[in-house]
Amino acid sequence: MSEAVAQQIEEQEPEVDLSLADKVIDKYIDLPGNLMPVLQGVQEEYGYVPRKVADYVAERLNVYPSQIYGVLTFYAQFHLKPRGRFIIRVCVGTACHVSGAPRIVETFFDKLHIGHAETTPDLRYTFEKVACLGACGMAPLAMVNDDTFGKMTVQKVDEIIAEYNQRPMK
Amino acid sequence: MVNLTIDDKQVTAPKNATIYDAAKLNGIKIPILCHDKKLKPFGACRMCLVEVEQMKGRQIPACTTPVTDGMIIRTSTPDIVKARKMVLELLLLNHPIDCPVCDKGGDCDLQNLTYEYQVNANRFTDEKFHHEIDYNNPLIERDMNRCVLCGKCARICDEIVSFGALTFISRGIETKIGCEFEDALNCEFCGSCVSVCPVGSLLARPFKFKSRFWALTNKKSVCSYCGTGCNLTLGVKDDKVLTTIYDENQGFHKGQLCCRGRFGYQFINSDKRLTTPLVRKNNVLTEASWDEALDLVASHLKGAGASAGALATPRLTNEELVLFKKLMETAGSANHDHSAGYAHAALTEGFARSFGTTASPATILDIQKSDLLLVIKTDTYETHPVVGFEINMAVKNKGVKLNILSDKSGKLSKLPDATTLIHTPGSEIAVLNAIAKVILDEKLADGSAASIPGYAELEKALAGFTPDAVAGQSGLKATDIKQLASDYAKAAKALILFPAGNAYPGHNADLASAAANLAILTNKLGKEGCGILCMAEKNNSQGAVDMGFYATNGLNASQIIDGCANGSIKTLFIAGENPVVSYPDQARIKGALDKADFLVVSDLFLTETAAMADVVLPACSFAEKEGTFTSVDRRVQHIKPAIRKIGQSRSDFDIFGALIAKLGGQAPVAPSAVFDEIAAATQGYAGMSYAALGEEGVFAPVAVKPVLVAPKAGAVTPEPGKLALVTGSVLYHNGTLSQFGEGPMYVCPEGYIELSRSDAARLKIENDDLLNITSAIGSVKLKARVSPRMPEGVLFTPYHFGAAEINQVWTGAPITWVTLAK
Repeated sequence: MSEAVAQQIEEQEPEVDLSLADKVIDKYIDLPGNLMPVLQGVQEEYGYVPRKVADYVAERLNVYPSQIYGVLTFYAQFHLKPRGRFIIRVCVGTACHVSGAPRIVETFFDKLHIGHAETTPDLRYTFEKVACLGACGMAPLAMVNDDTFGKMTVQKVDEIIAEYNQRPMK
Repeated sequence: MVNLTIDDKQVTAPKNATIYDAAKLNGIKIPILCHDKKLKPFGACRMCLVEVEQMKGRQIPACTTPVTDGMIIRTSTPDIVKARKMVLELLLLNHPIDCPVCDKGGDCDLQNLTYEYQVNANRFTDEKFHHEIDYNNPLIERDMNRCVLCGKCARICDEIVSFGALTFISRGIETKIGCEFEDALNCEFCGSCVSVCPVGSLLARPFKFKSRFWALTNKKSVCSYCGTGCNLTLGVKDDKVLTTIYDENQGFHKGQLCCRGRFGYQFINSDKRLTTPLVRKNNVLTEASWDEALDLVASHLKGAGASAGALATPRLTNEELVLFKKLMETAGSANHDHSAGYAHAALTEGFARSFGTTASPATILDIQKSDLLLVIKTDTYETHPVVGFEINMAVKNKGVKLNILSDKSGKLSKLPDATTLIHTPGSEIAVLNAIAKVILDEKLADGSAASIPGYAELEKALAGFTPDAVAGQSGLKATDIKQLASDYAKAAKALILFPAGNAYPGHNADLASAAANLAILTNKLGKEGCGILCMAEKNNSQGAVDMGFYATNGLNASQIIDGCANGSIKTLFIAGENPVVSYPDQARIKGALDKADFLVVSDLFLTETAAMADVVLPACSFAEKEGTFTSVDRRVQHIKPAIRKIGQSRSDFDIFGALIAKLGGQAPVAPSAVFDEIAAATQGYAGMSYAALGEEGVFAPVAVKPVLVAPKAGAVTPEPGKLALVTGSVLYHNGTLSQFGEGPMYVCPEGYIELSRSDAARLKIENDDLLNITSAIGSVKLKARVSPRMPEGVLFTPYHFGAAEINQVWTGAPITWVTLAK
């Protein structure tokens, strides 16, 4: 049945390839308490948890869709909207704050035309303010995915954007 | 039992009790918002804080703390009262406090506790919630601004209803109750969440602004839809039934109801109710006096003999059915029947042969006490939803194993570890026979089996039903059949359940015997948690059988219909049945009723059948009369009038009594006198009286004399290029009566045809496409519903709807072969 389900849902939302979800679900299907690893796995695959995927997980794991949504909204780690290819995090903790983090944040807002926890329409960037990245010695600090940029300045914001604009989307 | 001290009082409580239970048991009230005795303890509201001396005077929640021996508990010290006041202040902080316009006013736990604890000011200030109110469905309003997050709604929806529509969303101050992706509520609308909500967050919309709670009079009654026999409390004001009221102490189901029970009461005070007798004059039904109408009916019945026939709905009371029979006897006729003449065959023929009795040797209470349930058709949930709740609770709370044998999957198949064997439609008897064969071959039968009459004949008759042979015919795997047989036989306690009714012609005498054989062979009878429960459709189906209101010496329903067509039945009296919609083959029924010389219909409404009558008598509903109903497990329950009769309507009891008098017979004065006759004459009813029945009713015992019967399992021959249409009940409806209940009609207003995703893809059919369904006898147009539960090649349609008369294509065969066209 799951193939027929997959086929039907795919027709409605062609951009969601449910075979990716199948791969994750198949891996954990027999594990008791598999909801968290499955949701983490599908988020890894899609970058976020699309509704169709949440519904599909509900059907395959025989869990109420509402319960899945409860879990997705409880944990900050899950995202229900598409996220950018590059996640920009700017620390606004105490040390970064006194070193000028607010201006770094504003510059990113101005250059990318998005606010906190928002994503650019081309899905290249998602911007987030975070409380502390744990490297106060490098304040003010920014991160793009796993790359770290210490001693941030307004000029460096331009350089970072210019560099990541060149990077491939996949 | 443990001994403990609560508020300086020495008390005892069961070992597994919580402090809250122990206090309640001993008459000490602890305030609480998040507790319902049907649900698991949750500890959300912190109102039940108490002090336990052994815990260094800390404040602990009574509802989640188990009692221990020697515990010293104080429930209302000044510190506790202070803490509870603060809990209330915090709960009221974001609550809108809009009590004057809240329907819950007067019945609200939060309001009552605020009053009791005199919380007249709040030390804290914060913004009120600004959640959008969910008005998207006509039955349940969700206002999360009033919510105290006790979680009862989400828990009852999971633990008992097993639908899981509601859940906690987000966390911290942003937590709220809602559906997935903030959708509007779209569930089975049983209203369980409404019933347990301690505040005005979840309200029954049909009752909104109808009455203040304290202006209602509570009238106890019994639900008049299905045969489960749920108890109801009707909220009555000015002779109108305005709502149903939740009472967690009522009935075996502890106040739990389904959509039709809770929201389907509107037919009682419907403005479509008939209020005067109607007599056909110049081919038009014209208002007439009771005398005129009854005289006319009496003149046709007088001396009619075998040319008179009677069809009754099994919604009539036992007393009315007995009196109807008596009326026909006075007229000289033995032609009486109900439920199309076949819907009761599982009892009147099947169990009669196999058990020597026409009742089920098990009760609904056995469900939770069993180890294994074998459910025949997932429709069991839809036909008897509160029995479905019992199955949910048995599986989820008691770890009862659930095995389902069905032609489609359904809600029950989603229960944890439920095993659903989907067989081709019509092969259920063969599968049951194969299970019996495995039980015999693998020596799984009880030692007593060989001495039971019919053993040798059964063994011979089952020769052809090897699992391998049946596997081919049923589409199941032989190993699955063997596994099921071994699971069933090896379970210490096992119970078989199956629905019966107009829409389930396949659940006939042979199916009943095939199921009975399993219980007899493995000796799963007469013990707690064992037996078979045949769940007949209507609220008094079992009563109609017990009263003998089926063909014994006379014609059955089908023969009566034929009699009308060929002229041998001249006068037909139909009480409450609506054969034009609910009996198979509409053209045949209509033709026959047209030919009947004189057709009398007594009903609440001018149904499709009543519209064809020569005389229509306005009958009254269950809420307006006295009598008894017998549930599927033979619980005999007494109902009393909750309101005065609507218009000039009369109970069928009064109608039959008046006619008996007009025919020169002796009419009884009151239903109680007839019930005394019933108690004296009916097996199992001995010693019963209205006084003895009390509020919860009394079970009529069932005596079983097991006989092994070889059931016939006719082979199903698929017609090439056609799909198998099976009929059934939908969750929101029961018979045709629920069409007059606004609640059920809001949720499920029309008939539809359910088909599998693969058939839909093949035929390029989408949801809501209008399809032409054509069988050998006719065609009907129905909307398509594409559903993951249907197997390929199988169609399902509910049969209740006058506007989508499925009996135009349905012949009354278990399977109708049809074609679909857009």
